[in-house]
Amino acid sequence: MVSAIILIAYLVLRPPLVRATKLWLLLGLGILPIGAAFAGNVQGFEATKERKFCGSCHVMSLHEQDSDDPSSRSLASRHARNAMFGDENCYVCHADYGMFGTIVTKAGGMRHVWMNLTAYRGVTLAGAQRTIRLREPWKMNGNCMQCHSTKADLWLRVPDHTAALDDVREGRIGCASAGCHGLAHPFFGAH
Amino acid sequence: MASRRAHRLLVAACICALVALGLMTWQLFDPRVVPVIVAMSIGQVLGTASFAAYVLVIIADFRAHRRAERDSRKVR
Repeated sequence: MVSAIILIAYLVLRPPLVRATKLWLLLGLGILPIGAAFAGNVQGFEATKERKFCGSCHVMSLHEQDSDDPSSRSLASRHARNAMFGDENCYVCHADYGMFGTIVTKAGGMRHVWMNLTAYRGVTLAGAQRTIRLREPWKMNGNCMQCHSTKADLWLRVPDHTAALDDVREGRIGCASAGCHGLAHPFFGAH
Repeated sequence: MASRRAHRLLVAACICALVALGLMTWQLFDPRVVPVIVAMSIGQVLGTASFAAYVLVIIADFRAHRRAERDSRKVR
C-alpha cells in the first residue's frame, strides 16, 4: 500500500531526480515490492499445496471428489482423512522429498499447468482417465517411505513386506500397486 | 542517460510495479489457480523489470554526475 502511494505520488508529481526522490523510489520500486513479492510467494506456495488447488483443473476433479468422499476406500482418500495429510494430501504424497523437493515439485507443477492449458484443455474426463499417468512411478515408494520407513518392527512382521523388502525400497514393486495396497486412485487406471 | 529518457523509464517502471503489486495483492486475497499463477509469473517479471529499470536509471545518473565532475575539474 505504501509502495503504491509512493509510486502514484511519483507519477502525479514527477519530481526531479534528486537524492530524496531516488531514496523514495528505492523504497517504492525496490524494498517494499520485494517484501510484497516474498509474502506473495509464501502465500502462493502454500495455496498450491491445497487439494482444492490441485482439483481446480478439470482433469483432476475425480481425484478431488474421491479425496473429499468420507466413505471412499481408496488409498488416497484414506490418507486424506489422516490429519497429517488433511487438505494437503495431494502435495504430501506427490511432492518430491529431499532438500530441494519443494522447488522440484513447483517446477513440475508448472509443467502440469502448461499441459493443462495446451494438451488437456479440451480433453474429457474419460480421455484424461485413459492418458494421464505418473511420469516417475518408481519414485512413489520414496514418498510412502517418508512415513512408512520399512524399518519398524510392526512393518517387518508382515511376511509380504520382508519377502519384497529390497524391491519395495528400490521402487521395483510399488506400495500402491494392485497386488499390494491397491491403486491410490483406482478409478484412474493403472498407475 | 538524458534526464527526459530517465524520467520516462522511471514512469514505465512505476506503472509496471503498480501492476505487479496489484497482481500480488490479488493473489493474496483470492488464492485460486489463475491469480496465483499470474502473480507468480507475470507479477514477478513486471516487478523485477521495474526494479531493474530503476537500477539502470540510478547507475546512468551516477555515471553522468561523475563525468560532469571530471569535465568541470578539467576546465578549472
